Amino acid sequence: MEPLTSFFAVSVILLGIGIYGLTTKRNAIRILFSVELIYNAANLNIIAFARLRNPPIVTGQVLVLFTIALAAMEASVGLAIIMLVSRLNVDIDLRKLTRLRG
Amino acid sequence: MGNPIIDLLTSTYFLEIAVFPGLLSIAILGALLGWMERKLTARVQLRVGPLYASPAGGILQMFADIIKLLFKELTIPDGADRFFFIMSPVTALIIGAALLGLIPFAPGIQIANIEVGLPVFLAIVTLSPTIVLLAGWSANSKFPFIGGLRALFQQTAYEIPLWLSTLGVVIVTGTLSLTGIIEYQQNSGWLIVPQLLGAFLFLVTSTAEMERLPFDLPEAESEIMMGWQAEYPGPLFMLAQGPAFVKLYAFSALFTTIYLGGYLGPAPIPPIVWFFLKTILIITLIMLFRSTFPRVRLDQLLRQGWTTLLTLSIANIIIAYFLVVGIPAI
Amino acid sequence: MTDLTFLALATVTVASSILALEARDLVYGAAALGIAFLGMAGLFFLLDASYVAAFQIAVYIGAVVVLILFTVMLVGPQLGEPPLELKRLSLLAAILLSLLLGTAGAVSSASAFPGPDNCGSGCDLVGLSNALINQYGVQLEFLSLVLAAAVIGALTLAKTETKAE
Repeated sequence: MEPLTSFFAVSVILLGIGIYGLTTKRNAIRILFSVELIYNAANLNIIAFARLRNPPIVTGQVLVLFTIALAAMEASVGLAIIMLVSRLNVDIDLRKLTRLRG
Repeated sequence: MGNPIIDLLTSTYFLEIAVFPGLLSIAILGALLGWMERKLTARVQLRVGPLYASPAGGILQMFADIIKLLFKELTIPDGADRFFFIMSPVTALIIGAALLGLIPFAPGIQIANIEVGLPVFLAIVTLSPTIVLLAGWSANSKFPFIGGLRALFQQTAYEIPLWLSTLGVVIVTGTLSLTGIIEYQQNSGWLIVPQLLGAFLFLVTSTAEMERLPFDLPEAESEIMMGWQAEYPGPLFMLAQGPAFVKLYAFSALFTTIYLGGYLGPAPIPPIVWFFLKTILIITLIMLFRSTFPRVRLDQLLRQGWTTLLTLSIANIIIAYFLVVGIPAI
Repeated sequence: MTDLTFLALATVTVASSILALEARDLVYGAAALGIAFLGMAGLFFLLDASYVAAFQIAVYIGAVVVLILFTVMLVGPQLGEPPLELKRLSLLAAILLSLLLGTAGAVSSASAFPGPDNCGSGCDLVGLSNALINQYGVQLEFLSLVLAAAVIGALTLAKTETKAE
């Protein structure tokens, strides 16, 4: 069994990549990618921490199942918005998307 | 002694992956299934079918076809995305072969005996619309893209009734492991009897997942000329045709496992023979669909999938619930 | 054995998630994201959470990645992302942050978290389903309500557009 620290390290690196994407990308779809990566990092962390207890608990897996479902909803609504915006505005650059500004 | 390469090559695990039930047997059986389909369709239509490739009724026809396709020129269309164009059929073939690693062919003959065999099988199946969509997109041509989009709509819509129809089996047996499902059937009889509706739904939805007639809209050769495979040159076309037969084999094997008792059968005949007898029966049944039913339209397909099949599979879950709990006395 | 598998899976996951953000073509990015999700499912398998891994493959790759690919193909290529002034700075910041967090975690744990070798009842499928239905049944119901709301919302967003045309 690989020590759990390695899993935490992967999770932290993924979180870093996700934050990097959130801060530097302008395309809405790329930002969605970053959010999904952060979700995944959190999921890995939760499952690894559920293994940390002795004996391990099953609640972590339940929580991750919920998170995966929520992430799928978030992606579906987000992509519907992106599709709508791209039809109205032709550009999905989030820094140019200022239609709601008064 | 001690040569690690020879040890690896003769180990049971390697033989299971490479020869049986792994890659080599999948390739040969896939080719034989191609021959069987052509011969069967020909017999239904009162034709002769493949005849010349060997003394035994042209049984080597598909191998001859494979050799012919291999020597064709490998052309890649202008403007195609080369990476996905080449990788998609290869990946689809790997995914199809991975499905067979989960099937218990006989006691002990199974590559991966995991606790969640059934969901993993279905999860691997859900990878295939992505691959088909990428293949259709990569060709940079109209018909392949239409075929890829059709495959996306059809396969994602039919995944849901597929999962729900197998849920009935899970509720009755109380396990997600394919070996566990067979062990349950050893004690209580084949599951097709209590789960007849589920078996029917599984057969219909898996036919749609395999993109076979009457649900072969993504490749409908008379409408969009082989759909997502239209632009593929000879050798890649052969690779792109492969997954269809491998998936046919895998889904029939899964049907045999979860509804027909898998390798179970009376003693004198060994379990593996029972398994293949039942699997070939199911394959023949699915092949007869091809020569019996006309192709459905896309709107009919989607409406049936989202309404009728979904409702029936939920009804099947209710049936399974009452099978476990018992019918309440009113 | 596990070490090698873990290393391979971790490398694939991290490399393809970087590729997902940095690939010039969004279709390649989405495919790389799919491979990252596959690698994550493999890591879940290593942690004995095999049901979650199957769920991850089915939902993330079977639904989310396909949806992203579909949107990308419909929206069309969005090339020409000009490099931001801030870009290199925040890249540096993100890497520094993650390394700092990682080393802090490793140091504070001293000899690493070994974790029990045998997961036993904690990763049991029966235990998982019991907890899901008996302990968290209400939450599950709310989740399905939220799911229905999300589906209706997404459909509405897509539908009004076709009416306006």
